[in-house]
Amino acid sequence: MTSAENAIIVQNLHKHFRIRYRTHLKTRMLNILKRQPPLQEFTALHNVSFSVPRGQTVAVIGRNGSGKSTLLCLLARVYRKTGGIIQMSAEDGSPARIAPLLDLSAGFHLDLTGAENILFYGAVLGNTAREMRACFDSIVEFAELGSKVDTHLRNWNEGARLRLGFSIAVHTNPDILLVDEVLAVGDEAFQAKCYAYIRKMQSLGKTIVFVTHDLRTVERVAQRVIWLNQGNIQMDGDVGEVLQAYRVFSAGAAFTDGIS
Amino acid sequence: MPLRDNEPPVTMRGELRELWKFRELLKMLVTRELKIRYKNSVLGFVWSIIPPLMQVLVFTFLLRNVLGVPAKNFSAYLLSGIIPWTFFSTGIQDASQSIVINYTMIRKIYMPREAIPLANVISNGVHFLLGWLVYFVAFYVVAPFFHGGIPFLPTLIFFPFVVVMETLLVTGCALFVAALNVFYEDVKFILQTVFNLAFFIMPVLYPSDQIYYTSSLVRKHPWIFTLYMLNPIAAFINAFRHFILQPIGPSSFNQSPRLIGKPPLPFDWVTFGGACLITVLIAWGGYTYFNYRKWQFVERP
Repeated sequence: MTSAENAIIVQNLHKHFRIRYRTHLKTRMLNILKRQPPLQEFTALHNVSFSVPRGQTVAVIGRNGSGKSTLLCLLARVYRKTGGIIQMSAEDGSPARIAPLLDLSAGFHLDLTGAENILFYGAVLGNTAREMRACFDSIVEFAELGSKVDTHLRNWNEGARLRLGFSIAVHTNPDILLVDEVLAVGDEAFQAKCYAYIRKMQSLGKTIVFVTHDLRTVERVAQRVIWLNQGNIQMDGDVGEVLQAYRVFSAGAAFTDGIS
Repeated sequence: MPLRDNEPPVTMRGELRELWKFRELLKMLVTRELKIRYKNSVLGFVWSIIPPLMQVLVFTFLLRNVLGVPAKNFSAYLLSGIIPWTFFSTGIQDASQSIVINYTMIRKIYMPREAIPLANVISNGVHFLLGWLVYFVAFYVVAPFFHGGIPFLPTLIFFPFVVVMETLLVTGCALFVAALNVFYEDVKFILQTVFNLAFFIMPVLYPSDQIYYTSSLVRKHPWIFTLYMLNPIAAFINAFRHFILQPIGPSSFNQSPRLIGKPPLPFDWVTFGGACLITVLIAWGGYTYFNYRKWQFVERP
């Protein structure tokens, strides 16, 4: 297991959250008097370890609250981990360029034009204005914007904003793509384009980690599946095998939830 | 080969290096601030100059005509207090809301989070410098045609230093309140109250000498005045005035008989140095607190 073959290495990753309840000053004072700890800890990930070989597409599945999004946020460095190691490297061993597709319109400002937002979002992802100008035309073309790009984002529809977000993120030449349930953006034609683009990224040897509830997407795109359950890796392996086990588990969970 | 962790830096030097890597983003954030502040306004940038000018007009009328302050070149004195004060108060108040305003962004995308309040400070700093530019043009170039104007003083070479010091002060305070405001949104109301009152307590509308001469308590215990002048914003406003304008005696602001003939206070370099030291500590402390808090922003309740 070396960093030359593995784009992502995760070892003993764990993440605790502190749950804070909105309380009144009075309750807080009483808690101090009663010597009750005001914060409760909640473990979102327990000692998760896995590694992703370069060029592999991994789907992360699991029920709500199983830690999928927490894992993705940790990979995207939005959260700080409680313990463990995450290494994400490019082919030459340098730190990887990451395109986080966690929320496609998070970096946008509605009072700027599309063109200004392209430069801004590019800078958020760590690119210079010059790099962004170089791929400006292909971003606009991929997002199917045309002359709209010079108008304010406030007047755009939701679909157009998401298309722009996707287009910018994939044009920044990332080594690793982190995708959270966002492939379902836009209309059918654009979705087909996204899938085609994902295929292209796969053929270019980019590593992709994505989170989804849509098992058909998993079958269509992934080469490997990691199933998280309550912050642990329940199963990790071949797509068909894991999905079969997960379907059985989901059916059982639905049954027990139904009778209780 | 040992694994190289993706953990963000923990030392202040590491944090600063990370920020330097994202300087392009900082530049973008600043231009974004400057662009959207005057979006949809016809006069645009002129709006950063009009408010202080109106303030000067109103306060000159109030102090000179209503309260009878006889000082010559009074608007030059007033404006040299209002420009640094405006940077101080609006810079900090803007930055205090910045993390909350950009909350959706930092929840989803990694970036050095200090870039957001820093962008607010820098864009306010641009207006601050613009204000001084207007000031110098008005009093060195335009006013002499109307028998006004102020002479060039050699102490003007210290002017850039005070600008840097005030920027450092605003940065430190801004980082501190921006981080605090994520967890306690009372900060906004506290700041509003504090700035409203401090405007009158700080030597914005009058020179700091007045505090010394008009209060018998302060005259009996001069250390109170030293304490007052150790407060960085009072020290910097006083320094700006001292380095740009000729000293004027306390009786030109207040013609009470006990002030007639009293000399203007000499510039106290030691206290000024102390205020600069405090400023550096505030900047360091504000950044340290921000770094300690910044990973908890996305996990707040």
